[in-house]
Amino acid sequence: MNVKSILIGAASMVLATAATAQERVAVITPYLAQPGTQFYIDGFEAAAEGRGWEVNVIDTAGDIAAVISRIEDAVTQNVDAIVINVDPAQVEAGLAMAADAGIPVVGMDAGMSPYVATNVTSNGYAMAAETAAYVVNRLNGQGNVVMFVFDPFPPVQIRGVIADAIFANTPDIEVIARVTPDVQDGGIADSRAQMEALLAANPEPGSISAVWAAWDQPALGALQAVEDAGRAGEGIVIVGMDANPQARDAIAAGGNFEASMAQDFEGIGAAAAEAVARLVSGETITAPVTYVPTRLITSANVAD
Amino acid sequence: MTLASHLRRYGTLLGFAAMVVFFALNLPDTFLTARNLLNVTQQVSMLAVVAFTMTVVMAMGDFDLSVGAMASLAGVVAATLFVAGWPVGLAIAAALGAGVLAGLLNGVLVSVLGILPFVATLGTMTVFGGLAFVVSDGRTIFGRDIPASFSGFARSALEAGDLRIPALTLVAVAVLAVIWVVLEQTPYGRRLYAIGGNIEAARLAGTRVVKLRLLAFCFTGLGAAIAGLMYASRVASANPTQGDGLMLDAIACVFLGMTMSEEGEPRVLGTLLGVLLLGLLDNGLTQMNVDSYIREVLVGTIIILAVASGRLGVFSRR
Repeated sequence: MNVKSILIGAASMVLATAATAQERVAVITPYLAQPGTQFYIDGFEAAAEGRGWEVNVIDTAGDIAAVISRIEDAVTQNVDAIVINVDPAQVEAGLAMAADAGIPVVGMDAGMSPYVATNVTSNGYAMAAETAAYVVNRLNGQGNVVMFVFDPFPPVQIRGVIADAIFANTPDIEVIARVTPDVQDGGIADSRAQMEALLAANPEPGSISAVWAAWDQPALGALQAVEDAGRAGEGIVIVGMDANPQARDAIAAGGNFEASMAQDFEGIGAAAAEAVARLVSGETITAPVTYVPTRLITSANVAD
Repeated sequence: MTLASHLRRYGTLLGFAAMVVFFALNLPDTFLTARNLLNVTQQVSMLAVVAFTMTVVMAMGDFDLSVGAMASLAGVVAATLFVAGWPVGLAIAAALGAGVLAGLLNGVLVSVLGILPFVATLGTMTVFGGLAFVVSDGRTIFGRDIPASFSGFARSALEAGDLRIPALTLVAVAVLAVIWVVLEQTPYGRRLYAIGGNIEAARLAGTRVVKLRLLAFCFTGLGAAIAGLMYASRVASANPTQGDGLMLDAIACVFLGMTMSEEGEPRVLGTLLGVLLLGLLDNGLTQMNVDSYIREVLVGTIIILAVASGRLGVFSRR
């Protein structure tokens, strides 16, 4: 066999997989290998299957320039819609070409852009409001709270702003520290060290009533610090956000880590498909961002 | 010439032609259009620049594994200087300078200290990759920090009648022209191939091997930096790992090109065909809705087949 015959053989196998269908949608991401992304795709594909679409999922293995190239190819191929899971600002060159060709683009947890008809994501404001309100209610509106925030990263910054407002609106809640942990190592270790220092500075039982963290890692670090300081029995309420597996384990264990927020990744995928369906049928979507509901995770529902 | 020796030399070319015909038949409306082909040249322009300059060191039988890291470093150097308020031109010059310096370091390690290129550039790859993280603080620099004149370059094009020839394509063509002249038309290029043929013989013949190798690595460093800036301009951002993927693809392109040259040497026009092969394959497979992981399998298979077809002549002589 020579190169040619093998190429043709391989190519004809490939051809057999390319079916004919009505609506063709290209889903392009550099992050398919990351946990979470696959759930968006699963949700999208399930919804697309029900509609009889032909979906082409393209992963560029972290290469952002290749995302632009694949968007260009999808435009050349004249697909009916493109779904991206990458910061639109970084792939604007490709999005401009899609706009010129009149092909709608939907973002799946991507970011806002004039080139994206709508970005489907979770509402960070709402998520922060739920956990902050949970803390206020658990403390009966009274106590000292430690906050772990990260203002340099916009999606996390907005969570902190909402929690600030809710705590400030409750007269007997005092925020005794607003900590920005070093996240170089993932955020657990430094958060733990910072919490240890705060526990040492506030030795009286009850002097710290709750820890509100803008994401799970600092909450896990704070939990370790509280447990190792032998103060787990003081009833310090710890809440995180994102409900990662480690946080779910901690919540299920029934200790101080009481609550976190779960994003509905498959729901985001399904809602992105819904947005595509509306755009393809000629509707315009006025909301630049489409929010998918999130869920408070506590010991009551963590096993679901 | 026997059939086997024909196949040895032209197997890759036949495969290339077969691929183009296959895509042209299956994508009759979109594949062989001027717009699509020009688009592909833009998509492969960064890889092309790295691969062309990689050809220079590979002509001597050397390697440079640090090109991807150098490309990433050049991107974040320029972006960091943009943030610091440097004018675009100066920041670009500084990033190119960083590439040349990085190449010079590779050259000193390989040519002056005599460290194997694989080991030396594996080490500097890690060093440059780490430096890219240090310079950028591990962050992606994007948005308003990247001047519009810089990101606009990658989106600009030369209008020629109905055709838009992308600026990035023009840069790649310019680099191709320079490398072709250097390698094929100058005594310097011929000496590089002499070193690649037999370094001891070249040395005994009075070739200043140390200096020539040093300069060759500088070419590769400069090429990597140019590609890194092209990449940063195309994605209007810079992060410390974005160019890393260029290295393996560039080496693959040079290898594919080598299977097409008479003596199995790296020739820059052969490298160009290797680059176009990978670029057209990506483009065609995407348009045919082929899974991205299948594409990886196909690329690897094609490289092995191309090299294997080059071995056919060897078997027939045994």
